[in-house]
Amino acid sequence: MDEQLQEDWLEQRLRDEQPYIDDAGFTAQVVQKLPAPGRPRSARAAILLGITVLASLLAYLASDGGRFLFVAFYEVAALPLLWVSLAALCCAMMLTALAASAAFINAREQR
Amino acid sequence: MPLNDPDLVARVLLQDDHHAFAELVRNHQSPVRGLLRQLVRGDLALADDLAQETFLRAYKNLRSFRGEAKFSTWLYRIAYNCFREEARKRKELVGIDEARLEAEHDPQTVDPALKHDLMHALQLLPLHERSAILLCCQNGLSHDEAARVLDIPLGTVKTNVLRGREKLKKTLAAWGPA
Repeated sequence: MDEQLQEDWLEQRLRDEQPYIDDAGFTAQVVQKLPAPGRPRSARAAILLGITVLASLLAYLASDGGRFLFVAFYEVAALPLLWVSLAALCCAMMLTALAASAAFINAREQR
Repeated sequence: MPLNDPDLVARVLLQDDHHAFAELVRNHQSPVRGLLRQLVRGDLALADDLAQETFLRAYKNLRSFRGEAKFSTWLYRIAYNCFREEARKRKELVGIDEARLEAEHDPQTVDPALKHDLMHALQLLPLHERSAILLCCQNGLSHDEAARVLDIPLGTVKTNVLRGREKLKKTLAAWGPA
Protein backbone atom coordinates (compact mmCIF):
# COMPACT_ATOMS: atom_id res chain seq x y z
CA MET A 1 0.00 0.00 0.00
CA ASP A 2 2.81 2.35 1.02
CA GLU A 3 4.54 1.43 -2.19
CA GLN A 4 1.44 2.35 -4.21
CA LEU A 5 1.02 5.62 -2.32
CA GLN A 6 4.59 6.54 -3.01
CA GLU A 7 4.17 5.63 -6.66
CA ASP A 8 1.06 7.79 -7.03
CA TRP A 9 2.69 10.65 -5.20
CA LEU A 10 5.73 10.52 -7.49
CA GLU A 11 3.56 10.43 -10.62
CA GLN A 12 1.58 13.41 -9.38
CA ARG A 13 4.70 15.37 -8.48
CA LEU A 14 6.26 14.70 -11.87
CA ARG A 15 3.15 15.99 -13.64
CA ASP A 16 2.91 19.03 -11.36
CA GLU A 17 6.58 19.90 -11.71
CA GLN A 18 6.27 20.91 -15.33
CA PRO A 19 5.61 24.63 -15.20
CA TYR A 20 4.30 26.52 -18.22
CA ILE A 21 7.21 28.35 -19.83
CA ASP A 22 6.19 31.82 -20.93
CA ASP A 23 6.80 32.47 -24.62
CA ALA A 24 8.64 35.77 -23.92
CA GLY A 25 9.50 36.43 -27.57
CA PHE A 26 10.59 32.87 -28.37
CA THR A 27 8.02 32.39 -31.15
CA ALA A 28 8.95 35.74 -32.72
CA GLN A 29 12.62 34.71 -32.77
CA VAL A 30 11.83 31.42 -34.49
CA VAL A 31 9.56 33.06 -37.08
CA GLN A 32 12.23 35.66 -37.80
CA LYS A 33 14.65 32.88 -38.74
CA LEU A 34 12.26 31.15 -41.15
CA PRO A 35 13.15 31.47 -44.84
CA ALA A 36 11.13 34.14 -46.67
CA PRO A 37 7.87 32.77 -48.08
CA GLY A 38 8.32 31.53 -51.63
CA ARG A 39 5.82 31.63 -54.48
CA PRO A 40 2.66 29.59 -53.90
CA ARG A 41 2.95 25.98 -55.05
CA SER A 42 0.32 26.47 -57.77
CA ALA A 43 2.32 29.36 -59.28
CA ARG A 44 5.51 27.29 -59.19
CA ALA A 45 3.75 24.38 -60.87
CA ALA A 46 2.38 26.67 -63.61
CA ILE A 47 5.83 28.17 -64.26
CA LEU A 48 7.45 24.73 -64.45
CA LEU A 49 4.76 23.44 -66.80
CA GLY A 50 5.08 26.52 -69.01
CA ILE A 51 8.85 26.17 -69.27
CA THR A 52 8.53 22.45 -70.07
CA VAL A 53 6.00 23.07 -72.86
CA LEU A 54 8.10 25.90 -74.33
CA ALA A 55 11.31 23.84 -74.20
CA SER A 56 9.58 20.87 -75.83
CA LEU A 57 8.21 23.09 -78.60
CA LEU A 58 11.62 24.62 -79.25
CA ALA A 59 13.30 21.21 -79.27
CA TYR A 60 10.66 19.90 -81.70
CA LEU A 61 11.14 22.82 -84.10
CA ALA A 62 14.96 22.84 -83.82
CA SER A 63 15.20 19.12 -84.53
CA ASP A 64 13.23 19.23 -87.75
CA GLY A 65 10.06 17.79 -86.28
CA GLY A 66 11.83 15.37 -83.97
CA ARG A 67 13.49 13.56 -86.87
CA PHE A 68 16.58 12.75 -84.84
CA LEU A 69 14.43 10.63 -82.51
CA PHE A 70 13.37 8.36 -85.38
CA VAL A 71 16.94 8.12 -86.60
CA ALA A 72 18.21 7.24 -83.12
CA PHE A 73 15.43 4.70 -82.68
CA TYR A 74 16.31 2.93 -85.91
CA GLU A 75 19.99 2.92 -85.01
CA VAL A 76 19.29 1.37 -81.61
CA ALA A 77 16.92 -1.17 -83.20
CA ALA A 78 19.69 -2.20 -85.59
CA LEU A 79 22.08 -3.02 -82.70
CA PRO A 80 22.55 -6.66 -81.63
CA LEU A 81 20.13 -7.79 -78.89
CA LEU A 82 22.99 -8.33 -76.40
CA TRP A 83 24.14 -4.69 -76.72
CA VAL A 84 20.62 -3.36 -76.29
CA SER A 85 20.12 -5.54 -73.21
CA LEU A 86 23.43 -4.39 -71.72
CA ALA A 87 22.58 -0.73 -72.34
CA ALA A 88 19.15 -1.21 -70.70
CA LEU A 89 20.78 -2.95 -67.73
CA CYS A 90 23.30 -0.10 -67.31
CA CYS A 91 20.51 2.50 -67.42
CA ALA A 92 18.48 0.56 -64.84
CA MET A 93 21.50 0.26 -62.51
CA MET A 94 22.28 3.96 -62.81
CA LEU A 95 18.68 4.92 -62.05
CA THR A 96 18.59 2.55 -59.04
CA ALA A 97 21.84 4.00 -57.68
CA LEU A 98 20.52 7.55 -58.10
CA ALA A 99 17.21 6.72 -56.42
CA ALA A 100 18.94 4.91 -53.55
CA SER A 101 21.32 7.80 -52.89
CA ALA A 102 18.43 10.32 -53.01
CA ALA A 103 16.46 8.18 -50.53
CA PHE A 104 19.52 7.90 -48.25
CA ILE A 105 20.10 11.67 -48.26
CA ASN A 106 16.41 12.32 -47.61
CA ALA A 107 16.31 9.85 -44.72
CA ARG A 108 19.41 11.41 -43.16
CA GLU A 109 17.90 14.91 -43.39
CA GLN A 110 14.73 13.75 -41.68
CA ARG A 111 16.50 12.15 -38.73
CA MET B 1 -12.30 29.12 -33.52
CA PRO B 2 -8.65 28.09 -33.03
CA LEU B 3 -7.28 25.65 -35.59
CA ASN B 4 -5.91 22.27 -34.50
CA ASP B 5 -2.41 21.01 -35.31
CA PRO B 6 -3.23 19.10 -38.54
CA ASP B 7 -5.08 22.16 -39.94
CA LEU B 8 -2.18 24.44 -39.09
CA VAL B 9 0.29 22.01 -40.65
CA ALA B 10 -1.83 21.88 -43.82
CA ARG B 11 -1.85 25.69 -43.99
CA VAL B 12 1.93 25.86 -43.70
CA LEU B 13 2.36 23.22 -46.39
CA LEU B 14 -0.15 24.60 -48.87
CA GLN B 15 0.27 28.34 -48.40
CA ASP B 16 3.66 28.61 -46.70
CA ASP B 17 1.71 30.47 -44.00
CA HIS B 18 4.17 31.81 -41.41
CA HIS B 19 1.32 32.85 -39.11
CA ALA B 20 0.09 29.25 -38.98
CA PHE B 21 3.60 28.05 -38.17
CA ALA B 22 3.91 30.72 -35.47
CA GLU B 23 0.70 29.35 -33.95
CA LEU B 24 2.23 25.86 -33.92
CA VAL B 25 5.37 27.19 -32.21
CA ARG B 26 3.29 29.07 -29.62
CA ASN B 27 1.23 25.96 -28.86
CA HIS B 28 4.23 23.67 -28.39
CA GLN B 29 7.09 25.89 -27.22
CA SER B 30 6.52 25.31 -23.52
CA PRO B 31 6.68 21.48 -23.43
CA VAL B 32 9.54 21.35 -25.97
CA ARG B 33 11.61 23.94 -24.09
CA GLY B 34 10.73 22.24 -20.80
CA LEU B 35 11.91 18.86 -22.05
CA LEU B 36 15.15 20.31 -23.41
CA ARG B 37 15.83 22.21 -20.18
CA GLN B 38 15.65 18.94 -18.29
CA LEU B 39 17.75 17.10 -20.85
CA VAL B 40 20.55 19.69 -20.75
CA ARG B 41 20.42 19.77 -16.94
CA GLY B 42 19.08 23.28 -16.60
CA ASP B 43 21.27 25.22 -19.05
CA LEU B 44 18.47 27.57 -20.15
CA ALA B 45 20.36 29.30 -22.97
CA LEU B 46 21.45 26.01 -24.53
CA ALA B 47 17.94 24.58 -24.14
CA ASP B 48 16.42 27.56 -25.95
CA ASP B 49 19.01 27.36 -28.75
CA LEU B 50 18.14 23.69 -29.22
CA ALA B 51 14.42 24.47 -29.09
CA GLN B 52 14.87 27.06 -31.84
CA GLU B 53 16.79 24.55 -33.91
CA THR B 54 14.00 22.02 -33.28
CA PHE B 55 11.30 24.31 -34.67
CA LEU B 56 13.41 25.39 -37.64
CA ARG B 57 14.05 21.75 -38.55
CA ALA B 58 10.36 21.01 -38.08
CA TYR B 59 9.54 23.78 -40.56
CA LYS B 60 12.10 22.52 -43.05
CA ASN B 61 10.92 18.91 -42.82
CA LEU B 62 7.21 19.51 -42.31
CA ARG B 63 6.45 17.66 -45.52
CA SER B 64 7.73 14.46 -43.91
CA PHE B 65 5.16 14.73 -41.10
CA ARG B 66 2.49 12.29 -42.23
CA GLY B 67 0.15 12.63 -39.28
CA GLU B 68 0.60 9.01 -38.17
CA ALA B 69 1.84 10.23 -34.79
CA LYS B 70 0.75 13.32 -32.87
CA PHE B 71 2.48 16.52 -33.96
CA SER B 72 3.88 16.92 -30.44
CA THR B 73 5.44 13.43 -30.55
CA TRP B 74 7.05 14.28 -33.89
CA LEU B 75 8.43 17.51 -32.39
CA TYR B 76 9.81 15.67 -29.35
CA ARG B 77 11.65 13.34 -31.68
CA ILE B 78 13.28 16.26 -33.51
CA ALA B 79 14.08 17.92 -30.18
CA TYR B 80 15.66 14.73 -28.86
CA ASN B 81 17.74 14.37 -32.04
CA CYS B 82 18.93 17.99 -31.70
CA PHE B 83 19.89 17.26 -28.10
CA ARG B 84 21.69 14.04 -29.08
CA GLU B 85 23.76 15.88 -31.69
CA GLU B 86 24.73 18.49 -29.08
CA ALA B 87 25.46 15.77 -26.52
CA ARG B 88 27.95 14.19 -28.92
CA LYS B 89 29.95 17.42 -28.70
CA ARG B 90 29.48 17.86 -24.94
CA LYS B 91 30.08 14.64 -23.10
CA GLU B 92 28.96 16.14 -19.78
CA LEU B 93 25.35 16.13 -20.98
CA VAL B 94 25.21 12.35 -21.28
CA GLY B 95 26.97 10.70 -18.34
CA ILE B 96 26.04 10.79 -14.72
CA ASP B 97 27.41 13.79 -12.89
CA GLU B 98 29.61 11.70 -10.57
CA ALA B 99 30.84 14.64 -8.52
CA ARG B 100 27.30 15.85 -7.94
CA LEU B 101 26.11 12.37 -7.11
CA GLU B 102 28.85 11.96 -4.52
CA ALA B 103 28.11 15.36 -3.02
CA GLU B 104 24.46 14.31 -2.80
CA HIS B 105 25.35 11.49 -0.44
CA ASP B 106 27.62 13.64 1.69
CA PRO B 107 25.61 15.22 4.54
CA GLN B 108 28.24 17.93 4.90
CA THR B 109 27.83 19.30 1.40
CA VAL B 110 24.22 18.69 0.48
CA ASP B 111 21.87 21.68 0.32
CA PRO B 112 18.75 20.71 2.30
CA ALA B 113 16.51 22.74 -0.01
CA LEU B 114 17.67 20.73 -3.00
CA LYS B 115 16.73 17.50 -1.27
CA HIS B 116 13.12 18.57 -1.78
CA ASP B 117 13.55 19.34 -5.43
CA LEU B 118 12.26 16.65 -7.70
CA MET B 119 13.82 18.29 -10.73
CA HIS B 120 17.16 18.21 -9.01
CA ALA B 121 16.70 14.50 -8.30
CA LEU B 122 15.82 13.93 -11.94
CA GLN B 123 19.06 15.52 -13.08
CA LEU B 124 21.00 12.93 -11.12
CA LEU B 125 19.61 10.11 -13.27
CA PRO B 126 21.56 8.83 -16.27
CA LEU B 127 20.34 10.20 -19.59
CA HIS B 128 18.46 7.10 -20.81
CA GLU B 129 16.42 6.87 -17.61
CA ARG B 130 15.93 10.63 -17.34
CA SER B 131 14.64 10.97 -20.89
CA ALA B 132 12.26 8.02 -20.51
CA ILE B 133 10.86 9.42 -17.24
CA LEU B 134 10.51 12.91 -18.70
CA LEU B 135 8.64 11.73 -21.77
CA CYS B 136 6.38 9.12 -20.14
CA CYS B 137 5.73 10.46 -16.65
CA GLN B 138 6.01 14.19 -17.19
CA ASN B 139 4.92 14.79 -20.78
CA GLY B 140 2.32 12.05 -20.79
CA LEU B 141 3.59 10.04 -23.77
CA SER B 142 2.75 6.36 -23.95
CA HIS B 143 5.65 3.90 -23.79
CA ASP B 144 5.15 3.25 -27.48
CA GLU B 145 5.37 6.96 -28.36
CA ALA B 146 8.44 7.39 -26.16
CA ALA B 147 10.08 4.44 -27.92
CA ARG B 148 9.54 6.23 -31.23
CA VAL B 149 10.91 9.52 -29.91
CA LEU B 150 13.99 7.92 -28.38
CA ASP B 151 14.43 5.44 -31.23
CA ILE B 152 14.84 2.47 -28.88
CA PRO B 153 12.82 -0.74 -28.38
CA LEU B 154 9.60 -0.59 -26.38
CA GLY B 155 10.92 -3.00 -23.74
CA THR B 156 13.95 -0.79 -23.13
CA VAL B 157 11.70 2.23 -22.53
CA LYS B 158 9.66 0.27 -19.98
CA THR B 159 12.82 -0.87 -18.19
CA ASN B 160 14.27 2.64 -18.16
CA VAL B 161 11.06 4.11 -16.74
CA LEU B 162 10.92 1.46 -14.02
CA ARG B 163 14.56 1.84 -13.04
CA GLY B 164 14.41 5.63 -13.14
CA ARG B 165 11.31 5.66 -10.97
CA GLU B 166 12.92 3.34 -8.45
CA LYS B 167 15.97 5.59 -8.21
CA LEU B 168 13.81 8.69 -7.85
CA LYS B 169 11.81 7.05 -5.09
CA LYS B 170 15.00 6.15 -3.27
CA THR B 171 16.41 9.67 -3.58
CA LEU B 172 13.17 11.26 -2.44
CA ALA B 173 12.16 8.60 0.09
CA ALA B 174 12.95 10.80 3.06
CA TRP B 175 10.25 13.33 2.24
CA GLY B 176 7.58 11.26 0.52
CA PRO B 177 3.93 10.99 1.63
CA ALA B 178 3.51 10.51 5.35
